[in-house]
Formats: sequence, C-alpha cells, structure tokens
Amino acid sequence: MNCRSEALEVSVEGRQVDEAMLALLHTILLHRSTGKFHYKKEGTYSIGTVGTQDIDCDFIDFSFVRVSSDELDRAIRKAVGEFKDAMGNGMDGMGQISLEFYQKKKSRWPFSDECIPWEVWSIKVNVVNLANEQERQICREKVGEKLGEKVINIVEVINRHEYLPKMPTQSEVDNVFDTSLKDVQPYLYKITFQITDTLGTSVSTTMRRLIKDTLAL
Amino acid sequence: MAAHFDTEYQRLEASYSDSPPGEENLLVHIPDGNKSPWHHIENLDLFFQRISFYPSKNGFTCMLLGEVFELVQLLFVVGFTVFLANCVDYDILFANKFVNHTDSSKVTLPDAFLPVDVCGASIRDNVAVMFVLMISGVFWLHRLIKFIYNVCCYWEIRSFYTNALKMSMVSLPYFTWQEVQARIVEIQKEHQICIHKKELTELDIYHRILRFKNYMVAMVNKSLLPVRFRPPLLGESVFYTRGLKYNFELIFFWGPGSLFESEWSLKPQYKRGGNRLELADKLASRILWIGIANLLLCPVVLVWQILYAFFSYTEVIKREPGSLGARCWSLYGRCYLRHFNELDHELMSRLSKGYKASSRYMNCFLSPLLTVVAKNVAFFAGSLLAVLIALTIYDEDVLAVEHVLSSITLLGVCITVCRSFIPDKHLVYCPEQLLRLILAHIHYMPDHWQGNAHRYETRDQFSQLFQYKAVFILEELTSPLVTPFILIFSLRRKSLEIIDFFRNFTVEVVGVGDTCSFAQMDIRQHGHPAWMSEGKTEASIYQQAEDGKTELSLMHFAITNPQWQPPTETTHFISQLKERVQRETTGDRQTLTSLSGSEPRSLIANFLAGPPSLASLHLGRDGSLTDHGPVGVNDGASALRSLSVSSTRGSCSSAHRSAGHASSASRAMPGSSTDARTASSGSSVWEGQLTSLVLSEYASTEMSIHALYIHELHKQQSGGELSRHTWHRQDSDDSSDSVTEEGGSGGGNPNPRNLIPRSHTFPISTPISTPGPIPSSNSVTPLQSNSQRRYGGNTDSVGPGGRVVRSARVPMGGWAEEGRGGRHPDTVPEEGSEDDMPPNTHKVFTQTHTDLVSVYGVPYHCFPLSSGDVTDQRSHPHPTREEPSADL
Repeated sequence: MNCRSEALEVSVEGRQVDEAMLALLHTILLHRSTGKFHYKKEGTYSIGTVGTQDIDCDFIDFSFVRVSSDELDRAIRKAVGEFKDAMGNGMDGMGQISLEFYQKKKSRWPFSDECIPWEVWSIKVNVVNLANEQERQICREKVGEKLGEKVINIVEVINRHEYLPKMPTQSEVDNVFDTSLKDVQPYLYKITFQITDTLGTSVSTTMRRLIKDTLAL
Repeated sequence: MAAHFDTEYQRLEASYSDSPPGEENLLVHIPDGNKSPWHHIENLDLFFQRISFYPSKNGFTCMLLGEVFELVQLLFVVGFTVFLANCVDYDILFANKFVNHTDSSKVTLPDAFLPVDVCGASIRDNVAVMFVLMISGVFWLHRLIKFIYNVCCYWEIRSFYTNALKMSMVSLPYFTWQEVQARIVEIQKEHQICIHKKELTELDIYHRILRFKNYMVAMVNKSLLPVRFRPPLLGESVFYTRGLKYNFELIFFWGPGSLFESEWSLKPQYKRGGNRLELADKLASRILWIGIANLLLCPVVLVWQILYAFFSYTEVIKREPGSLGARCWSLYGRCYLRHFNELDHELMSRLSKGYKASSRYMNCFLSPLLTVVAKNVAFFAGSLLAVLIALTIYDEDVLAVEHVLSSITLLGVCITVCRSFIPDKHLVYCPEQLLRLILAHIHYMPDHWQGNAHRYETRDQFSQLFQYKAVFILEELTSPLVTPFILIFSLRRKSLEIIDFFRNFTVEVVGVGDTCSFAQMDIRQHGHPAWMSEGKTEASIYQQAEDGKTELSLMHFAITNPQWQPPTETTHFISQLKERVQRETTGDRQTLTSLSGSEPRSLIANFLAGPPSLASLHLGRDGSLTDHGPVGVNDGASALRSLSVSSTRGSCSSAHRSAGHASSASRAMPGSSTDARTASSGSSVWEGQLTSLVLSEYASTEMSIHALYIHELHKQQSGGELSRHTWHRQDSDDSSDSVTEEGGSGGGNPNPRNLIPRSHTFPISTPISTPGPIPSSNSVTPLQSNSQRRYGGNTDSVGPGGRVVRSARVPMGGWAEEGRGGRHPDTVPEEGSEDDMPPNTHKVFTQTHTDLVSVYGVPYHCFPLSSGDVTDQRSHPHPTREEPSADL
C-alpha cells in the first residue's frame, strides 16, 4: 500500500500498440531519469546531463520526447515487444502493462534484498479492430490526441510534490538508481505486464501470503 | 586539440563526461543519504501492528526469553507425556510388583522406568502415540520458524524504538501508547514512513493496525456473522471460538481467494455492484470448500486443540483449581464490546476494570435450591472430614489405611465446590447498581438490561459475554467439530449479505487503503438517531451502527486521542456532547428537560453532584454542585465513586480529593471544558504530578462518564420519542421511522411477543410529581403501550409503509432489497425475539414504574442474598412485589 499508483487507459489499433506504449513509458521515464552521478570527495556529487530526442510515430500522428539513450530504449522496446507478442497480433484484446519504480532495501543475510515499490504506473490497453482505411485514418488522429492528453496527465502527476526517494550516498546509489546504463541513470524500475485481467491473485502470491501470515503473529 | 577553422564556431573537445568542461566544480550536490532505514516502509500495517504489540510484550529481552521458554516447555510437555505413558512401569510404582534388590529393600524411582529399548519399541508400535508425536513435531517446527521470524522482526522494531523514536528499552514501560503514537506522527514528518501524506494522523495509524478487526467488529455489530444459535435444549447460545474466528478471517481477509487482494485493498470486482450475485455464488462455494477442508482436517485440529488445551491449562488447573470456575470475557464479548478503533490493550484494560463488578454481578445469581443442597452436602462432607483429620492427628497410621488419604482429598475438594455455591452472608447484592458499574466500563449494553438486572434472562445474556473459563475451554475443544458445520450451513447462506456488506461498507482512504467505513466514525453516515445523532445522521437503517457504536466509538477515540483533529461536523458533535455532560453537572436541568421532552430524573446530574470532589476534578465545576450533593445516594454515584478510586492512584488521588474539596467552592471555571486534562491543567498544583499515564486513566474515567451519559440519554430519548409519537400516532409521519426501526428491531417477526419495543423501560425514569406534560403522559400510558404495539408491529401489520420507506433508503444490496426483510439485522445482543418475557409482564412493568418516584435514587433491587424469602422473591421477580421496596 505504501506506494502511489497511477492508472492510464488507452484504446488503440493492433499495430499502434507498441508505439503508444513506447510513447507513454518513455515519457514517464524521461521524468524519472537523471544524469549520471559523479561522486566527489566528502560525499558530494555532480550530475551529468541528459540528452533528449524527438521520436515520430509511424502509425500515430504523434511525436514524443525521450531520453536519448539507446540502451534504455532497447530495454523498453524489448519489454513492449514481449507485451505485444503476448497480446497476440491483430486480435481484440485487453492488456495491462505496468511500470514500477522501486527501491531496494538491503536486509540481513538469510533474507534476500527487499524491493519496495514507491510508484506504479499501470497502463491499460484496449486493442480495437478497425474495418476500413477511413476508420484507420480517424483512429490515427484520435489516438494521437489521446496520447497528447496522457502525456500532459503524466507531467501533471510528476509535477506534484510527492515522495521521491532521497538522493543516496555513493554506497547506496544502487538501491535507488539503475546504474547499469552508461549515459543515463533512471530510478530503479521494472516493467511487467498482464494480459487478461485474471480474477484472483495467482497461486504463488497466495501461498506466499499464507506462509507470511502464519509467520507473522 | 581540435582542428582550427576560420569561423568563430569551434567544435568542443570531446570528453567522456558530457558536462561542459569546468562545470563539474560549479554544480555540486550533496546527497541526503538514507541515514535512517525507516523511510518508506513497505508494509505499514504490519509495521504499526508490531509497534503496538511491542510494549505489551515488555521489550525485546522479555519477548525473546518468553518465546524460548515456550518452545522448551512445549518440547518438555510432549516428551514427558509420552514418557509417562510408555516408559513407566506402574506396577512397580503402585507396589503391585516387587523388585528384588540385592543391596537394599527400598524401591527407587529409576526402578520404575522401563529400559530404553523396550519403551522405544512400545512407542514405535503405538500408532496413536506416533500420530500425536508427529503432530506435535510439526507444531513445534512451525513455532520454531515463527519464533525465528518474530525475533528478526522484533529486532527491527526494537531498533526503530531506540533509533527513530528515541525511546530506550529501559524507559519503555513509562511510555503510554499515546506517547509512542505522538512520536510516530512526529517521525513521519522527518522520515516519511508513509509516502502518501506529509503527515500521519492518529486515525490513520489506528486504521492500519485495526483494519480487519474493525471489519469484524462491524460485522458482529450488524449481526452478520453466524455466531448465535438456538440448539435444542440449550436455549439461545453464542458460539464463537478462536477456530471459527480464524476461519472467518481466512475466508474474508487473507486466505486463498479471499475478498482482499492484499492487506490493504479489497479486490476491485467486489467494489462493484454489478455481478454481486455471481460473486456471492463464488464466495458460497469457497466457504463450502473451506468447510470441507475443515471437516477433513478435523481430527488433526482436534488433537492439536486437546494438546494445546492440555499444555496451556493443566498447569493452571493444578496451581489454582478455582480458575476453572472463574470467568473471562468471551471472544464474542470482546467483539461485541469493542469500540471501532480500539487497540487490544485499550480494550483489555477497559474490560479488566469491569471484571470485578461483572463477576460480582454474576455471583448474585446463585440458585437458592443449590444453596440449600450445597449447605447440607458441605455439612456431611465436613463432618466426615473432621473425623478423619482428628483420627489422623491422634495417630498418623490412619493415613496408611488404603484410600484414607484420597478420601480426605476428595472430601476437601467437595467442600470447596459446595462452598462456592453458598453466598457470603454479609454481602448485599444490588444487581442494578452493579450492572451500571459494569456499563461504566464495558460501554455497551442492550437497552432491555437496564431495569431488568435482577432477571435471569439478563444474567444469561450477560453470561454470553462473560463466560466461565471452563466453558471457554470446552468450546475451544469442541470447536474443530462444530466449525465446519457452521461454515457449511450457516455462513454459506449469508454469502450475499457478506458481499453486500463489504461493498457498501468499504471506503478507500488515501494513505491508508480500503477500510471499513464504520471505522471512520462518521456520525452522518453511520449514526443512529436514537443515540444522540438525531438530525445529524443521514444513514439508512442498513447503514446505522447498532447500540450507538458509532457515537460511543467516536467519543472513545476523541477522548483517548486528544490530539486528533476530527472533521468539523464530528468536532461539533463531540463538543456538543461534552457541553451537555457539563451542563448536566451544573444541575441546569431545564435545558435537558427541553431536550428530552419530559423532565428526566437525570442520573448524571445526580451522581456527578454526589461526590463533589469527583465532579470538580473531572468537570472543573464550581460550588453550585454542592447544593445537589444530598440528592444522590444512588447507584450512579457509587458507581462513579468506585471509578474514581480505581482510576486515580495513590497520592495523586488523595491530592485531588483534598484539592477538589477545598477549591470546589472558590474555584470557578465556568465554561471550561469537561475534559479532565484541561480542567486539571488549569491548576498549577497538579501540573507536576500529572504524567501521561495518569492522564490516560482520567481519559478512561471520562469515557465512562460519557458512556453512562449517552446510555442514559438514549434511554430517555427513545422514551421521549415514543411519547411524542403517541400523540402524532395517527399522522403516520415519516419521522416515525426512527422509532420504528429501533422499536421494531426484531422486525418482521410475526411472533406477537416481540411487539414491545425495546424502549419499554422508558417510563421508569418518569417521576410522577412533574408538572406539565407528565400527567398527560401518565394518563396515556395504557395507550402508549398500545402504540408501542403498533410500532413494533409496524413491520407486520402496518408493515408495508414502514418497509417501503426503509427499502427506499437502503442502498443497493441492502437487506431489504433482497426481500429478506424478516432477516433484518437485529440489534446484536438483544434480539427482541429472544426476549422471553411474556407481554403482560411488560405492561405491568410499564405501568407500575410510571408511578415510581425516583427509582434511581434508591437501589430498589437491593436485598441480602442469604435470607431465604427475599431470595425467593428475587428468583421469581414480580414487578408489583418490588413496589414497596422502591418506595423507600
């Protein structure tokens, strides 16, 4: 519960899925990335710069700004690609992709590190099938407008003064930021997706909770 | 160096870092660093729960030691039992078999032990023993893992206490929960434990700790859980055990496929009304499966229960056999009496304060028949015992005769048992007064108990809340057998209501998650018009909490957490109530008169006037009180007096007393708050002494006063309501709803006996000597009981009207919508239909008591218990017979 959650919902045509997802995920990550930290003596650091890049979409009348980091782009494209494959091509369907920012908390030996999410963005996708080219044209524009609205929503949410992990010291930087990329340093994130909204939690989570609960008190 | 061009523009030198050269030194940041590990805790519910449990376990070392010993004890008990059963040659012990020793003739203990291989074999051959051993082995391992896990968690909590809250383990016992909580609120600003809000409120913390408990309390309050049964022969009884509770929680909150998807949020599909029937079906089948699983696991659980009971209670029984005859608050009672947002330790301390009075009350009801029998049995047993003892003293060889020692022991036990049935000759029992004293602590009580304290029905119902320890253990032991059937046959039928309950009464609070809406303690949404929130509440009957739970919980929370900032409306309610209580104290009865429509013999005014020291202490009142002093030698006064004794401690109390007496005339603090803390802080004398511990004790006293006051007012109000409606009866105005619902809470039951509304006790508080409306209300009395019939029967004969109004206001999925009006939520404990009093008794009661003057002034049910004929009268209570004593 100790985590903000934001929900977005879009309806797109099958071939627009990956571009729409990329647009939204990149927009969020743009605001949740910093330049690389360069730690100096006495616990100070300076922040490197972040380049940005305009991307035009092929199937949507829309262009968005993303961090100009190919590595990050590759990682996200991979996740979105998997999501799209899982959705099945060109079929009606629903899916949800979520981008979760988390912090790691080191714990003592017998337990593995805890990952505590602090913000979750879930994007629901409805895939629609369109009959003819005319509708596709309209859809192209419509989706573009919609995505524009969503981007503004995202920026509004991000502009609120809400909890962000505190800037870490050098030793702790891995607990907050993803330092594996060479040119940019986003907050630790993970992308998960879910295809149909399955009823009920999965067996594994239930079992985990069952065990946890018996242990708890 | 880069190549030179003719233009001014030059290519910058490529550098690995993409910052402009030199800027590294200009823009320097300093990390905040996560020095404390306490920011952003993942599972705040659990975290707060542990924090709240921690002090009650007396710190880390005690907890650790306690758990270690528990584990060892468990091993020992199992091991020893098995050893006793298999490895001891009892023939040798009982000297039926002789051992031939070469060196001495004495039999030593080791002689009685079987050799290791023999007893190992006998254990291995015995399937039952192996079964028990295996179960206890699993149980023990489970405990061990739990122990290790707990130790890790509590170590974390310990470091939270010392590092973040800055409370050393040594000083921990000196802090109250309220102080700990204040520090947590303080910490949040710095560490941001919860990321949703900048600041935490007390209510947030309580909501997180008690999320599920609040749901349970609300469900018990709305009679949703099947815990009342009418088995043949036993009459109405409550069956609510830990096993059943565990299953309920498993089904609702955390088990596989439960309604909650995580600890803090209800699954979204349960929040939508659309497919509730489908969800109810699903829930029903889940309950069925869990019930079947229970049935299958029954033998295991049973063995577990027996072992558990054996481990936990044998030692206690051996140490003090009387403890089985002692009473304890039943699990159901704890649920019924619990306020919303009341922590375990708060509840327990409250109930413990009421324990003494409660057991005294229960002891009032000794059967005279049993007493006579017991006296005689004790006589015969006693004489036999005396002879045996005398003989033994004369010559101790008597002891060597077979069975003399055992018969002495048995006779002793027999006499002890008999003695418990013989009441103390010199005690005078006043059930009514005792019940009032109990009410001051337990805060909840069905309306019909008042004025009926001497009746066996009341006693039986009270014993559902306050049961024998032996009964408790017995219920726990039978629980594995009964639970599956309750789940399969009772709970399953309620699945739709449960689904509706969770949908209608779940609200999402930012920073807390989904909580029970009752726990918000919002008068407007859940207030009950008969409990002071008339006009403020917009709740339909379905939404109203019964027994004034919302109002009392609100007061309780506001009083225990003075720092809490309630929403404005709520603040208004609280201050209004406090003001009323205060006004009562000043003896300004006119206001109350106008308020309740008749002139009530205000209990509060009397008893607060009674002990002036207390009044001035709690209410910061001045000398005007002393004028009313002589009025009350009444139950309330004594109730409060004993309260004050219990709640003020040692030197403090005496200081207060004297100060109160001395200054009550001179010190005038008109308009000051009724809050004890405010009043006391006004005086510099006490400021140094008042630790928060003392303050919290005042808070509990203050809450007692408020609880008594609210109950009293409720009684008067519901009475006033009725007489008002007597006049407007024909109009069938819409406002009659409020009476209908509380009068006809047993609504829909065609049994004519139930038609008397629960407010029938009202006329008791109407004195005869009042001018104005009272004579008329007197003359109306027969009519009134008529009208009560009408109202009670509203759901029946006039039914359609009331029912329609009701269902119109019930939100979707309310009970009424289901066409199960007949199963409308009854007031939990009272269940008009279960009231065994014949209707004419009611009428007689009503009429006689209208003629009584100042019933409260005199404890009219007081009688010495041992004198035969009076006991007789008590056991066959007849209202008219009590009249003379009441006229004292």
